Amino acid sequence: MIEVLTNPNEFFEARVKGEESLRIPVLIVLVSGLIGGISAFLMAGISLEMLSETLPPEALGIASTIGGISAFFGAVIVSLIFWVVIAAIFFGISSIFKGEGNFKRTLEFVGYGFIPMIFSAIISAVLIYNFLSTVQIPVVTDPAEIREALEPLLKDPMMQLSSFIGILFMLWSANIWIFGLKHARNLSTKNALITVGIPVAAYVLYTIYQLGVM
Amino acid sequence: MKLLPLFLFLVLFVAGISGAYAVEEQMSSVMITSYQISPEVLMRNDVGTVTVTVKNMESVKSINIKEARMLGRDIKVLSDFYFNVGRLGPGESLNLSFTIKAGYTDGIYYPKVLVEAEGAQNIRYRTQVKVDSTPLTIGVKDIQEDIFKGERARIELVVGNPRPNTVTAVKIVTDAKEVIPSEVFIGALSSDESKVASFNFTPQTKGAHAINFKLAFKNGDNHHSADLSVPLNVTESKKSAELILTGLEVESMPGMNVYKITGDINNAGLEEAKSVVMKVGDAEGIEAVHPYKAYFVGLLSPDDFSSFELDVKVGENVTQVPLIIEYKDEDGILFSKTEYISIERRQGTTSSGELPVSMVILGVVIAILVIGLIAYSWKKR
Repeated sequence: MIEVLTNPNEFFEARVKGEESLRIPVLIVLVSGLIGGISAFLMAGISLEMLSETLPPEALGIASTIGGISAFFGAVIVSLIFWVVIAAIFFGISSIFKGEGNFKRTLEFVGYGFIPMIFSAIISAVLIYNFLSTVQIPVVTDPAEIREALEPLLKDPMMQLSSFIGILFMLWSANIWIFGLKHARNLSTKNALITVGIPVAAYVLYTIYQLGVM
Repeated sequence: MKLLPLFLFLVLFVAGISGAYAVEEQMSSVMITSYQISPEVLMRNDVGTVTVTVKNMESVKSINIKEARMLGRDIKVLSDFYFNVGRLGPGESLNLSFTIKAGYTDGIYYPKVLVEAEGAQNIRYRTQVKVDSTPLTIGVKDIQEDIFKGERARIELVVGNPRPNTVTAVKIVTDAKEVIPSEVFIGALSSDESKVASFNFTPQTKGAHAINFKLAFKNGDNHHSADLSVPLNVTESKKSAELILTGLEVESMPGMNVYKITGDINNAGLEEAKSVVMKVGDAEGIEAVHPYKAYFVGLLSPDDFSSFELDVKVGENVTQVPLIIEYKDEDGILFSKTEYISIERRQGTTSSGELPVSMVILGVVIAILVIGLIAYSWKKR
């Protein structure tokens, strides 16, 4: 399995010869989603803590529990959806380059690309937890002000480092996806690079824009 | 024959005496029976009136008053002569008024009244006008020895009338904002009479104060005044409540420019502070916000304290927030005190805004690792 990280070309070259199986990719995406859920749980806690002066304590307790759990499972579901969507996008773009091979194989290989995201989620969770244990949470009286109040929090250097690390791991995933797509859709390395590069570049640029760097 | 001239002389002598007596009786039928001066005693430069009563002393004959005038050397007569006043019936009387103005020297003056009547002897009558400029006196009758800031002090003033006549519309006014009432009306004050007026003084600042009172009165229709300045030294009360703030903390709330000010309010005085309320003062760029726009502390006993919390939204250039502490004493007098709290500008978090070195190293290591792995995978391709 370590080969997918160090030498994805050989890993997928060997894997393509075998039978298609989504068992391991599902597990990888699920683990990635579960760890990402921890970060989502922590961020949901911030939003609700902002309303601590507005909501009664009982309501706040219930809202924290429900909100946290919802955010956690939401993150898991979003990971699974993201997996399918990104695989579909790759499948679609690769079709322009006359890619071959079925969607299940693409889905399987894209799933392996989520392994770096497990590391990314772990590091992000640690950084967010570390950040939230020192930050002063603003109190808002209007739920509509939460977004406005969260904005400077998200621009904190610690949060920006978390996003930067996320981008690095996304690039690592993209690297795996390039070789995965190359073998799953029988593309040239160049075409696989373009197939993966377009949506990943768009995602990275959007993330940088969100950070306020651009 | 020698007795005839003697007889004629006697007849002519008797006839002459009788004729002269009859003429004298006809010329003395008008007289001035009384006069009044208002005000009774004038002050320097005062304007007053002299009213004389002219009476026809005849029982059957009316008299035609042709002219009446007043002449004064040291008293200025402002009114004109009376011409062709008219006929005065038998036993009737007539009041004639003359306006006079006192000079600048006190004393007793005698302006004359001249009345000319047809078929009657002219009347010259001397009136007596007194000019005495002795003013009313005003002084402090009673005032407490120690006057404390924020505590009510009673000031009693006494007004005396050393003048020989009654003055009217006597009142004492002051423009001092911390003195109530601002005016005390006394009314008429007879000669050698005195009256007391009370004022309450509640100073809001300590130090030397001078309260100016003005005594106003009327002598007849003439307005006069006298001033009194009362110097007072106001000190801090040794017993009153003394509210001080300790343990102040200003916590910023990211993004909203909202700060939470918390701390303790202590009563270091010897008296209770009632209805203690803490507010954010009005100033440009400063706005108190919910949930704690103001904080009600309530009763604060001596040596007691209470915690408080205030929320304030501040503008970009604001560095200080005025914090108003209001409380009342036992008499319900409101006291107000303003403290300024410094605001430290932060970027919304308690962190320094810079990344710790360890985090920077972590980022660099991860970057090298990922780039290295990507490069390695491409090399092995």
